[in-house]
Amino acid sequence: MQGLDLAYMLGLVPVLLSYVPLTLFMAVVAMALALVLASFLAVERVLRIPVLDQLVVLFISFFRGTPLLVQLFLFYYGLPQVLSVLTQIDGVSAAIMGLTLHFSAYMAESIRAAILGVDRSQWEAAQSIGMTRGQMMRRIVLPQAARIAAPTLVNYFIDMIKGTSLAFTLGVTEMMGATQKEAAGSFLYFEAFLVVAVIYWILVEALSLVQRLLETHLIKAYAR
Amino acid sequence: MMKTLAWAAAAAASLTAASSAFASDTLRVGMSGGYFPFTFVRQDVLQGFEVDVMTAVAEETGLEVEFVTMSFSGLIGALESDRIDTIANQITITPERSAKFAFTQPYVIDGAQVVVKRGNEAGIAGPEDLTGKTVAVNLGSNFEELLRNLPNADEIEIKTYEANIAQDTALGRVDAFVMDRVSSAQLIQESPLPLTLAGAPFSEIRNALPFRQDDESLALRDRVDAALSTLRDNGKLAEISQKWFGTDITATAAK
Repeated sequence: MQGLDLAYMLGLVPVLLSYVPLTLFMAVVAMALALVLASFLAVERVLRIPVLDQLVVLFISFFRGTPLLVQLFLFYYGLPQVLSVLTQIDGVSAAIMGLTLHFSAYMAESIRAAILGVDRSQWEAAQSIGMTRGQMMRRIVLPQAARIAAPTLVNYFIDMIKGTSLAFTLGVTEMMGATQKEAAGSFLYFEAFLVVAVIYWILVEALSLVQRLLETHLIKAYAR
Repeated sequence: MMKTLAWAAAAAASLTAASSAFASDTLRVGMSGGYFPFTFVRQDVLQGFEVDVMTAVAEETGLEVEFVTMSFSGLIGALESDRIDTIANQITITPERSAKFAFTQPYVIDGAQVVVKRGNEAGIAGPEDLTGKTVAVNLGSNFEELLRNLPNADEIEIKTYEANIAQDTALGRVDAFVMDRVSSAQLIQESPLPLTLAGAPFSEIRNALPFRQDDESLALRDRVDAALSTLRDNGKLAEISQKWFGTDITATAAK
C-alpha cells in the first residue's frame, strides 16, 4: 500500500468546495419546504380531520415505506413518460421535491410526537380563555412543540444534506457526483472519497454548532 | 415561514426556467463522467474520447453540444424521458435496445474482456475459467447480459456495481470484472491498481449513439450519423482514437 497522494487531495479540495453551495441550497430549500409540509401533516394527524386523515396516513406510509432513490426515479424518469409536461422539471427541482416529500413524512411523525409532548394543561389553559383550535395550535402548542422537536429535526436536516448525494442519479453534478467523476479520472478512489467525507463531516459539524445556538434560543423562555 | 416558502418557490421556478430554455439546435449528450478514458473529470474538466468525438460531431453538424453527466443507471431513463438527446457512453447495440432506440452507425468496435488481479491470470485465462467465480460488472451495462449468455453462466456469480468494479477486483472482493477490452487495457496502463487482462476478448461488441424514435429525434440521428461518416472518411475519428488509445478502435471489424 503506497502512501496517500496529498498533493492530489489538496488539489481536489477547492474543486469539491465549489459544489458546497449547491449541496447546501438543495438541502436548505428542501428543509424549509419539508418543515411547512410536515407541520401541516402533523397538525392534521393530531386533529384527525375525516377523509384528510386517511390521505395523510397514506402519504406518510408511502414516503416512509419506499427508498428515496426509488421515489426520485419514479418522479424524474417514470412519471414524465405518462405526463410529458413533467420533463420541464429539471434535476435540481426534482431532487428538492423528492427530498421534501420523503423527509416531510418522517418529520411529520417527529413533529406529531412533539405536539403530543406539550403538557395537556397548556391545551386546557388555551381553551379556557376561548382560543379556537387554530389559535391554540399556532400560539400555544406549536411554539412549545418546536423546542421539543428541534433536536430530531436537525437530525433530519443532517440526513438531508447527505441525501443530496443522490441527485447525481438525476443528472445534477453535486459534491458526490463531482467526486465520483474525479476519482474516475485519477483512480485515486481512497483520496477522493476521503476528501469528500471530510467536507461532509465539517458541514455537519458546523450545523451542530447552529443547533446548539438554536436550542439556547428556544430555551430562553424557560430560564429562571 | 411563508416568506421562506415564497423565496424557495421563486428559486425553484427560476432554476426550472433557466434549464428548460433548450434551443432546437442543441444536442444534449448524456454520459456518466465516470468511465475512463471515454468520459472522466480532472480538476473539474470533463474530457475523454467521447467528449472529443461529440465535440467533433457538433462542429461537423453545426449543432451546439451540451454535455449532461449523471450516474450510468440514470442515463437510459433520461433519454426516454426526453431530458437528453443521446448517450455517448460506449452504449452497445443489442436487439433489445435496437427495438427501443434508433442507433447511429457504430463508432467503436470492441470486445468483452475479463480482467483479474495481477497474479491470478494463471487461474483465470478467459470466460471458461469463470465457473464458480464472482464477477463484477457495471449495473445497466451490456456485459451482464454477455456473461449470462456464456455456456457456464449458471455457475458464475455476477455482481452488479454502480461504480468502482476495478477497485473491488484489486481489493479481492470479487475474482474478476468484465468490461470492454480497450478501456480495460487503458485502465491497467494508467491506474496504480494491480490488475491484468485475462485471455482474449470473448465477444465482439459494436457501440453507437442511441436516439429516441420520434420524427424529430430520427432527423437528429440522421444528422449525427452523416457527421460520423464524414469524420470516419476524413480520418478525424481515427485521430481521436489514436490520441486516447494509441490504436484505432473505431475501424469496422474485418469483413
